[in-house]
Amino acid sequence: MDIILGIKVQDSVIVATSKAFTRGISILKDKDDKTRVLTPHNLIAFTGEAGDTTQFADYIQANIQLFSMRENTELNSKSIASFIRQQLATSIRSRTPYQVQILLGGLNKGTEPFLSLLDYLGTRVDLPYCAHGYAAFYTMSLLDHHYRPDMNTEEGLKLLKLCNEELEKRMPIDFKGLYVKVIDKDGIRDIDFA
Amino acid sequence: MSIADIGKRFTYKTQFEQELEEASSEFQRLQPSLNSLAPSIAVPPISQPTDFLRAHTDYDSNSDCKIRMAHGTTTLAFRFQGGIIVAVDSRASAGNWIASQTVKKVIEINPMLLGTMAGTACDCQYWETWLGTQCRLHELRNKERISVCAASKILSNLVYSYKGMGLGMGTMICGYTPKEGPTIYYVDSDGTRLKGDLFCVGSGQTFAYGVLDTNYKWELSVDDALYLGKRAILAAAHRDAYSGGSINLFHVTEQGWVFHGNHDVGALFWEIKEKEKSFNNVEA
Amino acid sequence: MVGKDCVAIACDLRLGNQSLGVANNFEKVFQLGHVFLGLTGLASDVLTVHENFRMKANLYKMREEREIEPESFANLVSSTLYERRFGPWFVGPIVAGINSKTGKPFICSFDFIGCPDFAKDFAVSGTASDQLYGMCESLYEPNLEPEDLFETISQALLNAADRDTLSGWGAAVYVITKDKVIKRYLKSRQD
Repeated sequence: MDIILGIKVQDSVIVATSKAFTRGISILKDKDDKTRVLTPHNLIAFTGEAGDTTQFADYIQANIQLFSMRENTELNSKSIASFIRQQLATSIRSRTPYQVQILLGGLNKGTEPFLSLLDYLGTRVDLPYCAHGYAAFYTMSLLDHHYRPDMNTEEGLKLLKLCNEELEKRMPIDFKGLYVKVIDKDGIRDIDFA
Repeated sequence: MSIADIGKRFTYKTQFEQELEEASSEFQRLQPSLNSLAPSIAVPPISQPTDFLRAHTDYDSNSDCKIRMAHGTTTLAFRFQGGIIVAVDSRASAGNWIASQTVKKVIEINPMLLGTMAGTACDCQYWETWLGTQCRLHELRNKERISVCAASKILSNLVYSYKGMGLGMGTMICGYTPKEGPTIYYVDSDGTRLKGDLFCVGSGQTFAYGVLDTNYKWELSVDDALYLGKRAILAAAHRDAYSGGSINLFHVTEQGWVFHGNHDVGALFWEIKEKEKSFNNVEA
Repeated sequence: MVGKDCVAIACDLRLGNQSLGVANNFEKVFQLGHVFLGLTGLASDVLTVHENFRMKANLYKMREEREIEPESFANLVSSTLYERRFGPWFVGPIVAGINSKTGKPFICSFDFIGCPDFAKDFAVSGTASDQLYGMCESLYEPNLEPEDLFETISQALLNAADRDTLSGWGAAVYVITKDKVIKRYLKSRQD
């Protein structure tokens, strides 16, 4: 099971995804990036059924970018979350539902940090920190304990390191480390996470 | 003279037991098991008891089964500089129904040994009590207290002999003996038996590990260790639907185990949230 | 729950994925004009059905130039859910409100394909519905004043949720009288 983790701090959102791409009993790739950039201040991370994930993410990415081009504005995070949820809720009652779990991180209207958790059923909740899959079982209690809403990005990354250590210690499969992205007012950047 | 007879000499007998004993010696030839209160397990008289049990009690393979056994738990035990900490929650659930919030999930096998229970409540309760009698018999036979190693092996061998018949227990046998020092053995109904420093067992295990791993050190003081044990169970009680109720805390030292209170999660949660400024996902 | 010239409607705040508690800010009671709609069940459908009814209530308001009344809204819920008879929304709705013309309190619950149950005392729904029936049957009495009704519904909800693994994690209570709506959050057990 892939790891998708998000933490919202004072002035940014941190999103972490595992690097391993697993199929059956093999890891096919150890530098797989499970995120798509939607706008300069918004990205989604995704996991789920192979094929569905990338197809759906590309579809969302294309639509959001199309909107930005047509209207010449950047969509705010809440609207993007609503759009993705609507797509998933429609999909679940179709013949071939997309089986994807999504995490949307961004700056709402370019200022206010925003983190939303969406699942393949079309459930959506906005949370200060969240994770998909088994990772949630290990990290939620840890974040319940150490998370503070007034943390800065540095402290947020330190907290993420704790999560990573716990996952490396207890997860039975090797997930090949994490890709970490920070979304703040300057846009999206990768963090070197040793 | 049998072991049971030796055992009797050292045990307090009630009038009833004495009568029972006399009656039993009288009818010994006719009714050899009259005095035998030692456990014997009845098996349903059908060709496949396992399938029978599974069909009627296993929720996973048959969702409309009529009998649902109590499940769901968080228990932990860890070794540190000052001995062993054992902490458990107290919720028993059958499906989504909360059957009880006041279950005792630590079984005091004897003044030196503790067993925790996770899985099917009744299996743990019964066999760990049974283990208590076996430990006592060991003491009488060998004139010394049983080691944690041996006690856990007795339990492990027993459950292994019932393998495949639907026993469901995950337990930690914790104790302190001069030979071994503070020792924890993890024993489950698959027949696994592991010695270790830190275990969490039950549906909320991952949440307890999350808190425990980040804050655990061998050098922890007794107070800090007790707090950490309590805090880890609280984390699990919060996130895991099948854990909760109250927390029972124990500390095991060379003098035996000491009970450190029953803490209701309802009040404890707000107290710890206030003190630590944690649980920021919850609004007061 | 119905009181004397008032009604109350309450929900817990937990959103979970099986045993894992995910969120504790997931409200299941929504206000549409002066009608209140409570939705339990599949979280995705709770959101979708709420959005649907918000749209319908607003369209009604524009067409009729008045807010929809609880009685009419209950019929709207019933027919809307039955439209999906063969691919239903997995929700258990409750409608509560006070008729703005007659001042009569109204509550009604539904099954997931829209069969209405017009109760005159209380209506319950959700994973803890068995427990709620037990609590309500024993605590409820007719013609309670708003403050007493608040106490009764709160105790019923909290104690029922404490016997259900999937409910709890906070609660929200609305007490509705003809000219006022009071919303309160309850502090509840967090396990």
